[in-house]
Amino acid sequence: MNYEKKYVWSVLFRLFHWAFVLSIVVLAVTGFYINDPWPNPWLAGSRGFPMADMRYYHFLAGYVFTAALLVRLFLYLFGNRHERILHALPVTPGKVKNIFTTMAYYGYVTDRHGEDLGHNTIAGIVYLFTYVAAAAQVVGGFYLLYPESAGWQAWGLKFFGTQQQARHMHHLLLWYFLFFALVHLYLVVWNDVKAPEGMISSIFNGYKFKPKHNGSAEG
Amino acid sequence: MPITTSELVNNLSSSRRDFLKACTIAAAALGLSEAMIPRLVEAAANPQRPPVVWLHFQECTGCTESLVRGSHPDIARLILDIISLDYHETLMAAAGHQAEQQLQATLEKYPGKYLCVVEGGIPTKDNGIYCKIGGRTAMEILAEVAAKSAAVIAIGNCATYGGIQAADPNPTGAVGVWDLVHDVPVVNVAGCPPNPISFLGTVLHYLTFKRLPPTDKLGRPLFAYGRKIHDQCERRAHFDEGRYAEQFGDAGHLAGYCLYKVGCKGPATFSNCPAVRFNDVGVWPVGVGHGCIGCTEPGFWDTMTPFYERLPGIEIPGGRGIVTSADSAGKKILGIAGAAVGIHAVVGIGKRILKGKSDEDK
Ligand code: HEM
Ligand code: SF4
Repeated sequence: MNYEKKYVWSVLFRLFHWAFVLSIVVLAVTGFYINDPWPNPWLAGSRGFPMADMRYYHFLAGYVFTAALLVRLFLYLFGNRHERILHALPVTPGKVKNIFTTMAYYGYVTDRHGEDLGHNTIAGIVYLFTYVAAAAQVVGGFYLLYPESAGWQAWGLKFFGTQQQARHMHHLLLWYFLFFALVHLYLVVWNDVKAPEGMISSIFNGYKFKPKHNGSAEG
Repeated sequence: MPITTSELVNNLSSSRRDFLKACTIAAAALGLSEAMIPRLVEAAANPQRPPVVWLHFQECTGCTESLVRGSHPDIARLILDIISLDYHETLMAAAGHQAEQQLQATLEKYPGKYLCVVEGGIPTKDNGIYCKIGGRTAMEILAEVAAKSAAVIAIGNCATYGGIQAADPNPTGAVGVWDLVHDVPVVNVAGCPPNPISFLGTVLHYLTFKRLPPTDKLGRPLFAYGRKIHDQCERRAHFDEGRYAEQFGDAGHLAGYCLYKVGCKGPATFSNCPAVRFNDVGVWPVGVGHGCIGCTEPGFWDTMTPFYERLPGIEIPGGRGIVTSADSAGKKILGIAGAAVGIHAVVGIGKRILKGKSDEDK
């Protein structure tokens, strides 16, 4: 089968992706530490600041995470056609059908799959949900970070309730991100093994490969 | 000859020294400059003492108890000296119909002038029949008394946010004052119980400036509830430097380390406890080795429990009220997802072995 090389992910998109990944790794590790600081050998007067440091890196990564989310929002509106918000949502009959094609493909029912250059429709929906969860993490995080600011207080109280409720939600969402990371990693590896389309390398260099036979690929 | 402030002060039942001391404590709690103290004293010594009606609903009287404790006579006496307590079921001499008559008399004599203090939650379910005084429900009494008052001070977690009777499943539909009273200003002096100085400061602020102090979004005066416990705590250095009591009574606990890991809710609780302290002997919960339980926050019986754990558990949806920790639920879900991923991968590998490579790969 012949494949042709297609440019899919812009530089900004790939930067967003890796900033998002790295910040989530740091946020999850430091978040776990903040929740339940593991015993450590520091004794009084030994000038170690593990909690202060962990919180510092958490907040630093929190800002990177926030910036990444804003970049993704920008790309949703002004990115290339694979990156825009409607690209992978079930807004046309073709995109709705793509849900079933993808399910059949992932369920080993068929080896045929939609030749979507960007995300398939299921992925598109899950990513959108993930960004909503990310926005909740950001609002909750800043509410925890600036508890005395009237502005964050108003938002935080509206969406989460008290500081304690916000922390609880912030912590539960941590588990969503771990869950997402597991499934996401598995599926990209699975796709990369199933079809030689360069799914994994595309997030490094921007290019995917698609079968040449039926002319232009959908999506 | 007009009576001077100093004469008045000297004539008050507490000694002049105690009186000034209490005013100074209150001024410090309010964050007022020293220059304001004379104004505070003058307002406190005004012979026209504002009448106060103190309502008790679903409560334990602990707020009153902590306010009139004998350990700080200056504060208790000052409160009783600067206001004219016309109705207070615990402290008044009158009882029964006589007491209720006194209440009516105050409402008629000082409409729009008196302060209304509320202690206790207000049950609203079934038309509020779960708390009645003299045949009238708490809702009726509050509606009448609050509407004619100049301002309402809700004291304690029950009057502010419903307190323990509002804890899940809240059988009597208990709510706080500000859920029901919208036409007169309400200030929430939260806590279980609140620090008497926070209450005194609120009253003195009202007497001095003729308005309630500025509040946060939960209606609590900023001078007392503007900052987190955690940001003023004397154990904070231990927190930042990673030294924690792992359990009560261990070496870390004895060494005075941070109580975060035994469930301290200081990081999620707004109050001046570490700064103002209690009972005139400079103590407060964290100071004596017990974590903060978050009693100034709405719904703390639900959100701050278990008291000895960092975060509340989560209820299993559809289960019979089984509660598990967020982390154990998270681990299980992640484990199930991991197993699903494993099975999916095994199916794929098995299919490939059985059927050979797909067309696409050739
Ligand atoms: C994927 C994103 C994030 C994850 C997984 C995450 C995870 C966590 C976790 C697990 C905690 C401990 C909560 C507890 O158990 O008490 C925490 C605390 C916190 N997080 Fe995040 N977080 C994320 C994003 C953010 C962002 C964007 C900010 C904003 C700057 C932020 C700010 C905070 C703050 C202020 C705390 C409280 C720390 C303290 O008071 O000691 N987080 N986070
Ligand atoms: S004891 Fe509580 S309030 Fe004090 S530093 Fe530790 S967690 Fe914060």
